[in-house]
Formats: sequence, structure tokens, C-alpha cells
Amino acid sequence: MNSHDLVIVGAGLAGMRAALEGVRAGINVAIVTKIHPLRSHSCAAQGGVNAAINPKDSWNSHAYDTVKGADFIGDEDAIELMAKEAPDSVLELDRMGCPFSRLEQGEVAQRPFGGASFDRTCYAADRTGQVMLHTLWEQLVKANVPVYEECHLQKLALDENGEVAGVVVYDIKNGNIFPIGAKGVLMATGGYGRVFQVSTNATTNTGDGMALALRAGAPLADMEFVQFHPTGLLTSGILMTEGCRGEGGYLINALGERFMGKYAPTKWELASRDVVSRAEQTEIIEGRGKNGGIFLDLRHLGAEKILERLPQVRQLSIDLEGVDPIHEPIPVRPTVHYSMGGIRTDMWGASPLKGLFAAGEAACVSVHGANRLGGNSLLDTIVFGKITGRKAVEYVTAQGAKNFPMREVELVKARIGELKSRRDFGLRPNELHHRLSTKMNQYVGVFRTKEDLQLALEQFPRIRKDYELIHLDDKSEVFNIDLLRAIELGHLIDLAECIVRGALAREESRGAHTRNDFPQRDDEAWRKHTLANWDVEKGEVALSYEAVRTVGNDNYVPKVRVY
Amino acid sequence: MEMKSYTFRIQRNRRNAEGGVESRWQEYKVEASDTTTILSALEEIKGHQDGSLTFRQSCRSAICGSCAMKISGRTRLACKTHVAKVAKNGVVEIAPQANQPVIKDLAIDIGPFFKRVHKITPYLQEGPESTKEVTKSSFDQVNHVTQCIMCGCCYSDCTMAEVSPEFAGPAALAKSFRFVSDPREGHKKSRLAQLAEPHNAWSCVRCAMCVESCPKDVAPMEAIVKLRTRMVAQGLNDGAGARHALAFHEDIQKSGDLNEFTLLQRTLGIFGAVSELGSALHLMKKGKIPSPFPHKADGLQEVRAIYAALEAHPVDVETKAADVAPE
Repeated sequence: MNSHDLVIVGAGLAGMRAALEGVRAGINVAIVTKIHPLRSHSCAAQGGVNAAINPKDSWNSHAYDTVKGADFIGDEDAIELMAKEAPDSVLELDRMGCPFSRLEQGEVAQRPFGGASFDRTCYAADRTGQVMLHTLWEQLVKANVPVYEECHLQKLALDENGEVAGVVVYDIKNGNIFPIGAKGVLMATGGYGRVFQVSTNATTNTGDGMALALRAGAPLADMEFVQFHPTGLLTSGILMTEGCRGEGGYLINALGERFMGKYAPTKWELASRDVVSRAEQTEIIEGRGKNGGIFLDLRHLGAEKILERLPQVRQLSIDLEGVDPIHEPIPVRPTVHYSMGGIRTDMWGASPLKGLFAAGEAACVSVHGANRLGGNSLLDTIVFGKITGRKAVEYVTAQGAKNFPMREVELVKARIGELKSRRDFGLRPNELHHRLSTKMNQYVGVFRTKEDLQLALEQFPRIRKDYELIHLDDKSEVFNIDLLRAIELGHLIDLAECIVRGALAREESRGAHTRNDFPQRDDEAWRKHTLANWDVEKGEVALSYEAVRTVGNDNYVPKVRVY
Repeated sequence: MEMKSYTFRIQRNRRNAEGGVESRWQEYKVEASDTTTILSALEEIKGHQDGSLTFRQSCRSAICGSCAMKISGRTRLACKTHVAKVAKNGVVEIAPQANQPVIKDLAIDIGPFFKRVHKITPYLQEGPESTKEVTKSSFDQVNHVTQCIMCGCCYSDCTMAEVSPEFAGPAALAKSFRFVSDPREGHKKSRLAQLAEPHNAWSCVRCAMCVESCPKDVAPMEAIVKLRTRMVAQGLNDGAGARHALAFHEDIQKSGDLNEFTLLQRTLGIFGAVSELGSALHLMKKGKIPSPFPHKADGLQEVRAIYAALEAHPVDVETKAADVAPE
């Protein structure tokens, strides 16, 4: 049986950055990933990465912007840690060879971003995530880290003491199901955009790590906080970067009115994402939208500026929406983009389940609270990739060999065998996924109500029952994506239930979670994290709550959020 | 939006027990509008008609590089290719990438492609040639080639890779140029020396298929040409490729025309030329052996004037990407 000290699941920015800590410490570290590292969704991040590297800026200012952006439910110790570590983490990547855009004299260039009080977003054109991902992959190759490529995580295995002892994986390339022993496992599996019908996310973003951690007994936190990006393309949901507005782009309604001044009189289009998405949705609901969207208008920027500064975004708009932003406004709408919630960890990335760590979007440390600021997710991945990697190294170094529960492998084999042997009842995984995801879009959107959320919740018993009836067209061993999607669908169902239950219970409006029936933020009752746990007996998600970690800084005391 | 019906003719591939690949063509009907992508159409087939159809995909926005496949004869990203634009008489033909082993249907084994990338030492190295001071303009060259997403379109359509599996391929060579042109790289000379070895920069036949196929405008062939220029500038002139290029250079400068009779000997050396004697006899029979006496082109003075002007004021032929600041 293959064994390592530390197994990292996911080869995006957080996973690869964590792996480098393992290499530096000289432990035996390996990565398991269902797609080649360069295919990871980190590559789709366009805008940039925040760091107070300008002497006129400060980490304190970055931390304050983040606390405020998070609507005062982020954990302040972790936020301060991230803001402090940001400059070193970004400059380290620069030294590794990351081609960040430059000022004339060679300093890393920075640009303004939503909700930030300083131009602190470092970038590489409009493909920051891609160059960061390629740079870390280069380091991974250099360090010769073993990667189980195109291997899909099936189970987090615990030993007789309830501590992590490794994982069971399914090799997509040949259908082998095998155990990998590990003293610690670090989940860097990203988000779950596929829970929703339309999202900016890759189709591989199915929250596998979150869902399997939940089933293994780790809590997920703040799952009701789902970020809607203000500018996803109307039809496909593909991202049009916040930079379109950073460059001076307007949001207009179907009447041609630039409406953001009504909602954010100071920052207009550059208010935080939750504020802008709510404003857009209000325009749409009040009848000033078109086909369920509004418009991102770049025309006044002129062809030259658009071609020079937003080339990728322009091409995507032409390719996917059939609209050239030079001549026409782009139809956009608030679109599911990012999960503020994730596997609950302390400020060092350790979950309450012994031996389980999490970093990046899969984790809830929590640095994003109820609403993430643009440019803070790439930062989260490299800072907490590093910090969590170190913490995991520390942990596994102090552990003896673990006893791998081989029955877990048999259970996975039986489960997959059963899935493949099912009769055809006329229900393909895709159809059930469509039913779940459209309901999530319909009932768990930008604005939420008790009635809608209850309708969403009521569907789960039926969906879980139908999940046992889906059948596969593909019964083969080799590259069975049909099987993969069926397994992923199971994860999406669990995560959707966490989102719905958390949202139904949270009777207030905070950050990305807006309840029409409870329009105010209620710090007295609700300045706390939601924890979702898997109730094995009932076969459903159960909630509990945990206090926000504060540091006693007067600046961080909740106040009304105005942009 | 107006929907039209299209026929998708898709190559279905299975590996058999002996390790060979069994291929057949299967047809599906899909309704598509003007902006329907090939990927959406494939998802429609997989989701509603045949769950066993297998292909890779992920980001849907031309940045992860997963969904490169042969679409209507050319390798393209399925996520940014419109059905309407590539259909011929309402039919779209789809096959896996070429020049690489097939695993199943449209999914290929990406291992050999990445092995070539691993081989060029794909990471920045500190060393004696590292420059600490960099400016905005010193990144112009790096910026352009780092647009590469390693999708493999170029390798699949590469005419050299088709006949020479040893060839490093356009993507790996473009990646190597990314390091050679980075002011922070410390071993540029030894990289160039390695790239002057057989099956690397000089093996490209400059057919420009990679420039055509690249969905990210990387223009790998141009990076390869730049590598060659830098090799010659470094005095790495020993190989056949470099000698061939220098012979061209010499002839045109001297006579404005190529002396093909001596070209082979100058490229391959006496012994190399002798070993090609068989081909020469074959050519002679067909009357295709060029005259041994160099022919002077008309307007030779003009050619020489162009050379003189270029040597005095070299044109910057290097492709640059604007250091764009979108946000």
C-alpha cells in the first residue's frame, strides 16, 4: 500500500503551495488530484491578488477592509494573519518567476478593487490566477512532488481512534480503487459552484473535499454565505472580471440608467460584491432588467482601452454571448461565484477532526466571513496554503504510523460496483443534477425568504431517494466520467443541504446572505458562525453555532456598512 | 435565438485487451444556436443522449486547457468553438487530439505531452546570468509566451511531431523561451545549448500550424525562431539547423539567390552529404539537381542594401504582449 506522511487533495494554488511546505520540511508529501494540476480552477481567477506592498499602504488597512467586507463575521485573528503575510507571500511567488505586471521601474503593479481603501491588487494582466498556477506547478515539478493525477477522492479514512489515516481514491485512468495511507490529509479541493445551475465555476468544482470531510465527521462552517459575482455572463455564467468596473465600466439597466448611485453613493460600481449583486437583482425584480439580467457597459472606455486592458474578457463576451463590448453593453447577472463557507478550521488551517487540514476555498478559516473581497481569494490560497501546510507538517511529524482501515476500500468498491450495476429506471445523473441545481438557483438566490428556503429544503428527502435510482450509461473501467459525475452529484446534494439549512436558520441579513423577511443585520443574535454537521442517525445535516474569534481591536466593532 | 439541427459525427475509441485502440464513428443530432459551443453540444449529448461519451473539460472559458480536440479537422478548444462556425453542411466531425495515445473516445493520454514539457527544465533557476534589476519592458517577451495554457492544440496539429515523436514540440519549446527571455533566469546559455541539441529548436519545419491552432495567440513558432536567433548569437552554430540557416544567410547576402547545389554539403557536411547520395541520384534521374554555378539575382544591389540597412538598424522582430492593466 502506498503511504505518505501527508496527502494533499487538490492541486490548485492552495494545494500546491501547501505541498511546497512539505518538501521544504523534508517530509514525504504527495498530491491527489482529479484533474491535471494546470487544469485546476485557480487558473480562472482574472483580477489579482491583494497585498499591502506599497509603503503608503499597511496591513492594518487591508485587515480592516477585509473585516468590513466580511460584514464582521470573519475571524479577526486569521484576517490579521492573512493581511500581515500577504506581501511576503506575493513577493515569494514573484521570486519563483511569476510574471506579475510591472511598473516602469520593475515594481509589481497594483490596481484598485471593490471594497478596498487602497490600490493593493497585484495582477498579471487579466489572467493572474493562470500565471500563479503555472508558476506553482513549475515549483512542484522542480521539487519532484509525487502527484496522483486524475485520481478522484472517494473517502477520508479514519483509524480506530477516529484520527485521519489516509484516503481511498479511484483512479480515473484505469478504474483502480486503492488506499493511500497518510498521517494527515489536507483538503484543497476548492468550491462547489455546480450546486447551482448557473455559476462562474468550472464543471469540476463539486466540493468533493468539503462533502467527504462532512461525512467523515468534520464540521462545515458558514455554508449559507454564497458569493454572487455581479458580472457573470447572462447565458453561460462565465466571469467578466471586477476589473471591468475597476477600469471605469458602468452597470446599466434596460432603460439605460446607471443605477449604482442609488445603492452605493460613494463607491458606485466598486462597492463590495454583495452590495452590487443586490442592487442588480433589485433592478431586475423591479422590472428594469432584460431577460433576467442587466448590462455591463464598457462602450465609453473606447476600443483602444478595451483591447489593451480587457482582451480576454472581450473575447469571452464575443465567443460565449455573441456580444462585442466595444459596440454593445454585455448582458450580465449576479452569478454564483465563491463559497465563503467550507471545512471549519482554526487560524492555522486545522479542522477539529484530528489529522484533517483544509486551505483555500475548501476551508472556512474564516477570512472572508459573509462576503469575500475581490483579490482576497488568490491571497487566501497562497497564504493559507503555506500556513496550513506548515501546520500539517508539524502535526504529521509528531504522529506515529496510522492503522489504515482496509474495510473502507471494500466499502468504496462495493458502492461503485452497485452504482455501475444499477438497472435503467430512466434517470440519468444529469437530470437529477439539473433538478437540484435549478431549485437552488430558484430558491436560494441573492434574496431569500423563509418560504423559498423551506421549499428548497423539502426537496431533499426526494432527491436523496432518487439519487439511489440514477443509472450509468457507462459501465466501463477506463475513464468513466459518467461514474465520476454520479459520485460528485452525491457530494453536491450534501453541500446543497448545508447551504439551505444554514440559510433558513440564519434569520438576519449579513453579507451575501439576504433575507427579505429579516432585512437587518442582527449582531446580538447572529454574529456567530454556523456549523453544519452530518447526523449519521438521521441521514441529514444538523446545525450548531460557534463564536467569531475577535482580537479586541476597537476598529473591528461592527458598524453600519456603507460604500 | 434561432436553433438549427446539426449532426455530430464523433469518433468513439476503446482500448482493447491487447492494448490496441478500436475506433468507430457514431452520429448524434444536436440543436444549436449561433453561440452554442462544441462543449455545450457535447454536454447535451452526454447529459441527455449517451452518458458514455467521454471527453475532458473543466473551466468552460478557454483558460484551463482541458478540452482540446480535433474539430472539423483542426485541433481547437471545444469551449470556445462555435458549432455554427465549424459545421460543414450541418455536420461537425470530432476526433481526439492527434500525435498522442488515445485513452477513450476523445480523451487522450496527456502524459507524453507533459513529459516533453518536464524535459525542458520548466522552472526558473537562479544562476550566474540572473539579473536582479528588472524593468517593465524586460518582461515583454515573458508576458507573451506565458499566455500558454498547455492545452496541446499545437502539438496535436504539429506536422513535425507527426513524423518525429522525439520532437520536443511547440508548447515545450515556447515554454523554454519563456525562461530564456526572463531576465531573472540564471542559466540562459546552458538552456540554449540544450535546445540546440537534436529534436529541439532546429527540428521545427516552420509550417506555422502551431500559430494557426493556438487558441491563446502564443505563436509558438515565433518563440522557436527567437530561440534560434539567440542560439546563433551565442555562437551555437555547430548543428545542421544552424548551418542550414547560416548557409541561406550567406547565399542571399552574396548572390541574392540560393546555391542549392552546395546547400546540402554546407548543412550536413561532406559525410552527411555523401550519405544522402541515394536521394541525389534519384533527383538527378528526374532532372531536379540544381546547377552548381551560383546564379546572381537581378537587383542584387538592392538585396545588399537591405542587408546593410538591417545590420545597421536591426528590426525588432520579437513578438511582444502588451503589459495590460485591466483592473
